[in-house]
Parts: sequence; structure tokens; C-alpha cells
Amino acid sequence: MNPFNSLSKFLNRLTDVPSTDPDDSRRRKILNIILIGMVTAAGVTALWMLIIWALKLAAMSDVSSILVPSTVAMISCLIVYALNRYWSGIVASAMFLISLMYILTLTDTPHELSSGRSIYLLAIPIIISSVLLNSRASLVFWGLISIQLIYLAQVAGDVVNIPAIMSFFFLAIISWLSSRSLEQALRDLRVINAELDQRVAERTSELSAAFFRETIEAGRREAILNSIADGVVVFDRNGLAILANPSITSLINKSQKQIIGSELNTLLDSPELKAGDRGSLTALLEKSAKDLSNFRVTWGKRTLSVNAAEVRDDANRSMGTVAVFRDFTREAELEQMKNTFMAIVSHELRTPLNAILGYAEMLKEGVYGQMNGRQHGVSERIMTNTQRLLGIVSDLLDQAQIEAGRLKIQMAPCRPAELLDNLRGVMDRIASDKGVGLVTELDPSMPPILIGDSQRIQQIMVNLTGNAVKFSEKGSVRVRVFPCDKNSWRIQTIDMGKGIPEDALGYIFESFRQVEWGSTRQHGGVGLGLSIVKQLVELMNGDVVVETEMGRGSTFTVTLPLILPE
Amino acid sequence: MSELALVIEDDEDLAEIFGQALGAAGFTVEIIRDGLAAQERIKQVVPTVITLDMHIPHISGNVLLDQIKADVRLSKTSVVVATADAQMGDALRGVADLVLIKPITFTQLRDLTFRLHQNN
Repeated sequence: MNPFNSLSKFLNRLTDVPSTDPDDSRRRKILNIILIGMVTAAGVTALWMLIIWALKLAAMSDVSSILVPSTVAMISCLIVYALNRYWSGIVASAMFLISLMYILTLTDTPHELSSGRSIYLLAIPIIISSVLLNSRASLVFWGLISIQLIYLAQVAGDVVNIPAIMSFFFLAIISWLSSRSLEQALRDLRVINAELDQRVAERTSELSAAFFRETIEAGRREAILNSIADGVVVFDRNGLAILANPSITSLINKSQKQIIGSELNTLLDSPELKAGDRGSLTALLEKSAKDLSNFRVTWGKRTLSVNAAEVRDDANRSMGTVAVFRDFTREAELEQMKNTFMAIVSHELRTPLNAILGYAEMLKEGVYGQMNGRQHGVSERIMTNTQRLLGIVSDLLDQAQIEAGRLKIQMAPCRPAELLDNLRGVMDRIASDKGVGLVTELDPSMPPILIGDSQRIQQIMVNLTGNAVKFSEKGSVRVRVFPCDKNSWRIQTIDMGKGIPEDALGYIFESFRQVEWGSTRQHGGVGLGLSIVKQLVELMNGDVVVETEMGRGSTFTVTLPLILPE
Repeated sequence: MSELALVIEDDEDLAEIFGQALGAAGFTVEIIRDGLAAQERIKQVVPTVITLDMHIPHISGNVLLDQIKADVRLSKTSVVVATADAQMGDALRGVADLVLIKPITFTQLRDLTFRLHQNN
């Protein structure tokens, strides 16, 4: 605590006058400062005189002319100080100023005071009054000083100093106006401060209310997150994990502490996750690619299904990614069992069906004796129906395999011409039975050999053509094979059938969906044909589109990448 | 005197189809339903054609195939292999004379095996 500090503290306590009106408080403090200064000056002077007298450097009679006024001044100042501090600042200031006016007249002769060199002293009360009192006080004191000037001029026998009175008037005006504008500025400042305080108070209470709500919300969110059985991890834009719920810890064998704050790569760096799965999972979480949703990874002993979605704010900017991990082990096992079951069942269904087909064919070929026309026809009927049944079983098995991701496209050289011939071999009879023409067109600019899965391309052709014939009553079905550009080729089936209703276009490629024509199902089938076509085409990196017009017919166009042999 | 075709097939229906097809193609057919019995029989006769189902019980189709190929007496015999597995079929294309992926129809079998006659 340095002495300067304590001195200024002491002085502050001495001069501060607490008052409800800040202007009043300020004025009284200024008066106190002046008084203390004057007391100190007078006190020092008196002391100095006493010292001189004590040291016998001068006689009391000499000293007393200065000692007495000094002492009187000191005592008067103290009285005014007491008045100022404990009673009224206005009274004290008025007394002070009037005393000052009187004392000033003692400093020189009346002549000098009213028209000579000391006239400027009389300006002092005018100026100070607007500081110690109300700003208009300067005009009041101008009045008093003017009276004094007139009296002094009278006493001195001079002409009244009108110019001085005029100058003092202007001085009073200036004092008044500047004091007034200062006080106005101070008042404005106080108003602004009060407003600011008000606003700060409002803001603070708004913020604390918001904070309180936020805490409750966060509590609620946390309760929700904690109760979700699936593991949830939220990553920010930079791939840092910022949130993880308790369920994730049991799925990936890391504690919440280990997860939160770590980067994606660190998180996936676990011996329980295979390298291949790790790469795909990183891609999924970094890009939240929609086509990788329902993505399965093997983590330790578990199979997890991972879904990721990007979180966007109101301005559609990316805020981060939410990843949900579900324990899919049981479902994966069930799926595995289902696929095994499907494979077994389909084999068990196909074996006897093939046997029936074989016997029917042998009957037809006369292996067991020559057949008459009707017997021949009947054995053909047996074959047709058995083939239809076999087709359905194959479709079901294909569908199961595609869903399990186990259907593989075998790339080998195949001939488009051969594919169309085989198509005719299968479909000619069916089309002619229905009375629908079948036309195949192989564009001459089509390469004779290309690389693809001939079995599956054949399947696509048969499914599309079969549908085209199925839904036609008359006219013909055209099957066109042609190159589209130097990188792709097309298979197109054009029929003149009923067309497809617009609302059906949304679902005809879905599994087990069929267009409902009234309540009777006229056309049979299980609804897998188009869905298998679409899935096969997609596995081959191609696409399939349909154009249709009700009552006029439909055109299905499959576009596949054109790969030529080396 | 017609040529012998040996059908090694355990399934009754398939054996009938194979048998009838080869018969219709002009061969004398002998059907063996058991792998071990087949192993013995091929040491005794020299067929023109052997059809081998790769999925017979008691013995691996590959073992039988190797045995046939290793036998000098059977060097002129055509081996027709039948399997439901396309990948196995691909692997056997170099070894067998004809690879058939099941299911195979009667007419196809008859027409294909007709070409295997040696005395044309």
C-alpha cells in the first residue's frame, strides 16, 4: 500500500460529499477541493509567520498583519467546509463566493479595482459561480459584481466602467452556456449509462434464462441419447468425435472417454476391425454416401450395421455427421441361415422339377413309345408348366442371392447374336401361343463379340421380353440390340400393350410388386422379373429406364457398358 | 456291335435321362449307381463314353476322374462330366472332354453325345 495511494484515499474521503443529486455532489466536492487548498495555503502562511516570529526574525507587529488574515481565512474556510459538508452546498457556495467578492476588494485600491489593473480579479467570482452553483449563477454574480464595480467607481470618484461591465456580461454568458452544456453532457451520459445498465440487466436475465433452458434441454437430450439402445457417435465437420452415448461402448469396446475427442481414424484403429471394413467404414463416415447405408462391418465377434447421415444447419451448411451403430449379429446370423435355407430349398425344389422336365421331354421324344398328337401336346404342357415353376424358383433364389450380395457377375466373351437366338428359342412359342408377334433386331454396327455375363444378359432379355408379351394382347413385341455410343450398348423391348399407369412407375422395379389391374390377377408371376432385371443391370454398372403411354404400349431400355475383348 | 457308354450316376431320375439319351444316341448303356462299384467296373471294361456325375457319394468325382485319365486302356474314352457348380465346370474344362452344367435336357444330351461315336 504505497503512501500515494493512501494519501489520495484520505483526500477523497475528505472531499467527497454524498448526495442524491450527482450535480450537487460534484459541485460540493469542487468547493471542498478549493477550500482545502485555501486552508492549506493559509495554514502554511500562518505557520511560516509563527516560525519567523519564533525565530525572532521579525516582530509580532510585522508578522501579525499577515498572520491574522491567514488565520481568519483558515477558520472561515473550515466553517464553510463544515457548512458544505453537513448542511447545504448551495448556502456554503453562496457564502464562499460572496466572501470572495469582499476579500477581492481588499486586495487593491478602489480605483485600480474599478478601472485599473485589478479589475480582472472581479471576473473570478463570475466564472467560479457557474461551477459551484447552478449554471445561471454566473449571471446573478455578474449582477452583484456590477453593483460592486459601480460602488467602487463611486468611492474612487471615477466614471462607471461600462465597457468592463459589458465584458463581464459576455463573460457571464459564456460561463453560463459552457457550464450548462457541460452539465447537459453529463446528464446525457448519466441517461445513457442508466439505459446501458438496464439493457445489461435485461440481457443478463435473458441469458441466464436461456442457459437454464439449455441445461434442461441438454439434460433431456442426454437422457434420450443414453436410452437409445443403438450406439450413436456424432462427428463434427473435421471428423472429431464430439458425442458418444453409452451404448456404443459395448459395441466397439472403447469407453466414452476414449471415443469423445478422438479423430475418426483413431476410433477405427482397432484390431477387431478388418482392414477392408475399416476402409469402407471410413469412406462411409467421411462422405455419408447414401448408397452405403445399411452398411455391415464385422467388429470383433459382432456384426454391426452402420448408418451415417450428414447434419446440416438452417443455411444448409454441414455441421457434422451422425453415425448410428446397431448390433446386427443376430440379424446377420438369421440372414445367413435364411440364405443357406434358400439355397438348400431351391436345390431341393429344382432337382425334382428337373426330373419331371426330363421325363416329360423323353415322353415327347418318344423314348417310351410313339406318342399320339394329344399325348404329344400334353407332354409339352407338362414341360411348359414345369419350366414356369423352375423360372419362379430361379427368380426366388436369384433375389435371395442379390439381397445377400452374393450374386456375382461373370465376365466372359459373349455373342449378341447368340443371345437373341436363344431368346427366340425360349420366347417364340410363348409369343405365338398368345398371338403376339416377336421381332428381334440386331443392329449391324453391333460388335460380334463383347465381354459380359451371357447368362445374366440372357436373363434380362427373357424377363423383359416375357413381360412385354405378357402384357400385350395384340400387335408385336420388338427386341432391339444396338450400340448407343462408343462406350455403351442397349437392349430395348418395345411392346404395344396396355401401358403402365403413372403411379405404378414408382414401384414396378421393386421386388414382389406388380401393377394391379382390378381385383383379379390376370397375369400371374410373383413380381420379381423387373426387380431382378434392375438389380442385375445395376450390378453390371448399367441402368434401365421405361417410357410408357397408356393404351399405346411401353418401351424398356437397358443401357450397359460396352466392353470389347482385347 | 454298338459301343459302350458307362453312366456313373446315383440319382435314379438323372440316371434314367442319361441312360435314355445315350441309348437314343446309339450306345449300349450300363448304369452304375455307386462310386466304389464304378471304380471297379472301369478296370474291367473299355467304354467309348463315360459320363461322370461329380457329386456321387462315397467317392470324390475328382478321384474317379483322375483314375480314368491315368488308365492307359481308357485313353481313347471320352469323359463327359456333369456338375451343378459352374465354377467346378470351368475348372474341369481342360480335363474332361465335355462339361455339362446341370440341369441338362434329354435332347441336348442325346445330340451332344451322338458326336462322341468312334466308329464314324
